[in-house]
Amino acid sequence: AGLPGDLPELEPECRSLLAAFAEGSAALTGCLGRRARPVRLCQGCHGHYRRLLAQYGSIARALGNSSESHNCAKSILTSDRLQIVVTLSEFFNETWEAANCANCLKNNSEGLSNSTEEFLDLFNKSLTCFEHNLQGQTVFLSPNNYTEVCKNCNETYTRLNDLYNNLQRMNRQGGESGHSAHLCIDVEDAMNITRKLWSRTFNCSVPCSDTVPVIAVSSFILFLPVVFYLSSFLHSKQKKRILILPKRIQSNASLVNIQEKYS
Amino acid sequence: MANVAKKVSWSGRDRDEDEDGRAGETTPLLNGTGPGAAGGARQLTPSSFLRIGQLSNVDLNEDIHELQTELPRQRPNEIPHNEKLLSLKYESLDYDNSENQLFLEEERRINHAAFRTVEIKRWVICAMIGILTGLVACFIDIVVENLAGLKYRVVKDNIDKFTAKGGLSFSLLLWATLNASVVMVGSLIVAFIEPVAAGSGIPQIKCYLNGVKIPHVVRLKTLVIKVCGVILSVVGGLAVGKEGPMIHSGAVIAAGISQGRSTSLKRDFKIFEYFRRDTEKRDFVSAGAAAGVSAAFGAPVGGVLFSLEEGASFWNQFLTWRIFFASMISTFTLNSVLSVYHGNAWDLSSPGLINFGRFDSEKMGYTIQEIPIFIFMGVVGGILGALFNALNYWLTMFRIRYIHRPCLQVVEAMLVAAVTATVGFVMIYCSRDCQPIQGSSVAYPLQLFCADGEYNSMATAFFNTPEKSVVNLFHDPPGSYNPMTLGMFTLMYFFLACWTYGLTVSAGVFIPSLLIGAAWGRLFGISLSYLTKGSIWADPGKYALMGAAAQLGGIVRMTLSLTVIMMEATGNVTYGFPIMLVLMTAKIVGDYFVEGLYDMHIQLQSVPFLHWEAPVTSHSLTAREVMSTPVTCLRRIERVGTVVDILSDTSSNHNGFPVVESNPDTTQVAGLRGLILRSQLIVLLKHKVFVERANLSLVQRRLKLKDFRDAYPRFPPIQSIHVSQDERECMIDLSEFMNPSPYTVPQEASLPRVFKLFRALGLRHLVVVDNRNEVVGMVTRKDLARYRLGKEGLEELSLAQT
Repeated sequence: AGLPGDLPELEPECRSLLAAFAEGSAALTGCLGRRARPVRLCQGCHGHYRRLLAQYGSIARALGNSSESHNCAKSILTSDRLQIVVTLSEFFNETWEAANCANCLKNNSEGLSNSTEEFLDLFNKSLTCFEHNLQGQTVFLSPNNYTEVCKNCNETYTRLNDLYNNLQRMNRQGGESGHSAHLCIDVEDAMNITRKLWSRTFNCSVPCSDTVPVIAVSSFILFLPVVFYLSSFLHSKQKKRILILPKRIQSNASLVNIQEKYS
Repeated sequence: MANVAKKVSWSGRDRDEDEDGRAGETTPLLNGTGPGAAGGARQLTPSSFLRIGQLSNVDLNEDIHELQTELPRQRPNEIPHNEKLLSLKYESLDYDNSENQLFLEEERRINHAAFRTVEIKRWVICAMIGILTGLVACFIDIVVENLAGLKYRVVKDNIDKFTAKGGLSFSLLLWATLNASVVMVGSLIVAFIEPVAAGSGIPQIKCYLNGVKIPHVVRLKTLVIKVCGVILSVVGGLAVGKEGPMIHSGAVIAAGISQGRSTSLKRDFKIFEYFRRDTEKRDFVSAGAAAGVSAAFGAPVGGVLFSLEEGASFWNQFLTWRIFFASMISTFTLNSVLSVYHGNAWDLSSPGLINFGRFDSEKMGYTIQEIPIFIFMGVVGGILGALFNALNYWLTMFRIRYIHRPCLQVVEAMLVAAVTATVGFVMIYCSRDCQPIQGSSVAYPLQLFCADGEYNSMATAFFNTPEKSVVNLFHDPPGSYNPMTLGMFTLMYFFLACWTYGLTVSAGVFIPSLLIGAAWGRLFGISLSYLTKGSIWADPGKYALMGAAAQLGGIVRMTLSLTVIMMEATGNVTYGFPIMLVLMTAKIVGDYFVEGLYDMHIQLQSVPFLHWEAPVTSHSLTAREVMSTPVTCLRRIERVGTVVDILSDTSSNHNGFPVVESNPDTTQVAGLRGLILRSQLIVLLKHKVFVERANLSLVQRRLKLKDFRDAYPRFPPIQSIHVSQDERECMIDLSEFMNPSPYTVPQEASLPRVFKLFRALGLRHLVVVDNRNEVVGMVTRKDLARYRLGKEGLEELSLAQT
């Protein structure tokens, strides 16, 4: 009973598809927003993302039951200038790519990969270790006195750090074709937080600075050229060039003229 | 006369100059002119002989007086090396085609279709030059990348280990020793096997294209040493680049392919025999140099313009098109092979050895208000470049005078390598500039005293190959370096690069210059955005680029080709205008103080280099004053013994001899009939083309042009040719082989006129004749190159044995 040709209303199937997409994107947006800090995007939202992808896919594939020119995909995705559904889905895709979530998920995107699980496990362990060791002394804490933490958690932290470096190396080797060299954002952020705590807040990684030997060795090396140049200046025979007198007429033009006049 | 000649040669310590085709008429020859038909090398009418004799008598006597009275003390025969000398060891190339009868015969024999195949062969050769140059560039790039990666990983692991445990001085020692030993190998092969492979090779190629024959410069051995040397010096961590030597490598490849054989390997492939001449070889060498530039910077047009700028006096349109073809092939080959190597086969994303990266984002654009700032940067670049050149000048002079023994040169290179590592280490050690690691943008992040997850920002500049550092300076996001780091880096690297250039290692100056410039340019950009409180000019990368251009322009003073090279390397045509302005300013400012680095080194090597034009104030000089006289002439039908004597006279190593009429009738004027080259004479003697033998055996094979080409380019010395006593009495007829129409000038021609003729035609010998067509003198390259416009007007350089 509606208008012929251009329908102002969508077909019911299409409408339900659109509604599902709207729901899905709302859920995903909420999830992303809630897990922005500390970053838990990939762990928490991969289910939402996967669902949304499926919904978008079904819109793109769906053919309405009316004439071919009026299928769902066309009327939802491409019939106006704004194309909000496409924009939304592009936004989610880009965010997902930028976060590099594919890197810590299993190949079929169902759940976290084993190495990521292991990493997060170790990460939680180190955090508990930190908390544990700090509990007793929080009150009397002077800002530089975290030796307890440094001593007790060193093992966990080193393992975590090594694992992270390992992951990074593997990623770099395997990732030449597909992904960029980044690990997924969850892992990176977790590592960042831990490292900051460890070396900035707890000040645990104090490298031995051995300035005196370094200065000694470097001044020795820097001194060598001086010796070299001085000795070659004093002892090496200076290279001499042998001058050769050219054979040519040294006279000036007037002399020539005189000669020619008299001959 | 004989007496006079003797005195002259005494004051010259019995050492006649061995200038090309220059006089050196020694007494035996003059005496030989005596009896009858077997007589002298010069048949002159009594009157003319007398006249010339008188003239030279008078002049030479005057000369002698001067010499005897005051000159010996004022001008000692042995002087320390200075820049106002011309070395005798350099000779000219024969660009002038000898149009003798053999040549005409060959031209008649080869029909039109055959010339077509010659043309096709030229294209084939150019394609091969491009491909091989590209492949050599790939080889260098890949080997350097892997070896340098290995070195930096080893040192980094070591530093990481010792940072935790203490004992960083061992890391320093490891780094310095690694550098020094790698550079030692690189320097050893250069110093002991092929010294001409030292440096960037651009001055040498410039000289070659100018028409100076630098011994060994286009040999296969040189190429091998050059390639290995470049790899070793870059891996050894010196402040050098691998781009300049690519130009030399391309030139050697071109010279090798176009000849279809290698004398180093003693293999003759019997192809491309037509091109065995200096003229043809020079065209291909310019194509090779262009292909080298194109592979080094991914700049095919820049390559063509480089060849144009350096060898422009001999040029034509078809050659340009062919050279462009070679350049394109070269960059394409490099691009495709490297992209396969990097694993993205069809991507074609690495057109040159160094890629400046993409400069096309929005914030990299420039506005018109920035142009004065760029010009100011050009001024700074010019001043810094002049300072660089002046320092390097003193250093090079010191090196030529005192560090001339190969072992000392090797030791010096090793010391520089060790000091470079030490300076880098100390800078990194002292730096407190820590930046967070972002992904894998830093190839070898050194943590050292930074917090976990951060790296030392100084290490990105020092602990890396220079190419990567340049790209980092261009493209790292704002805030990656703090101003202190950049300032210290610029200062240190400036002196290191200046110290390094001129060592006996093969390495280029392009990349260090770019790096210095990029560092101070970035510093400039950062301070600018501080001053303007971070307005539109926020991105320091573009200032880094302009600084790099200014510094490079200030050092090498190239104009057109460098602009295009930079433009192509950035891949952004809109940068052409500011880059041009920057380079122009840098050149003007720099030229006010000292000349360009390459020209300076050419001068320090005492090469008889002909500039574009004769000195402006030289019109009063005539050919008569410029030329060398007397000239060793040959008669058209000459006694073999005389020829052998002239050729084997070590005191006068001439290369061209005017041929005069051999009419025994002494009343006739002995006019100029032609010009014959030493190389031709040697081939004639070797094949024993004597008049008597021709009469004896009519079946004897006639000499063809091919025989001359087969001997090219290393003609045997005269000592290796055996001429028996009987044969010495034979006669040799030169009329078939000499060039019957050599270029001549009258005595009154001014120096600029002579110069123009000489430079534009690429001559080697220019005969000076009087109005009776008698030979009075000979002008060669060294006669012209010795006049130079100095600080106090026209100067004359002296000739010296080096």
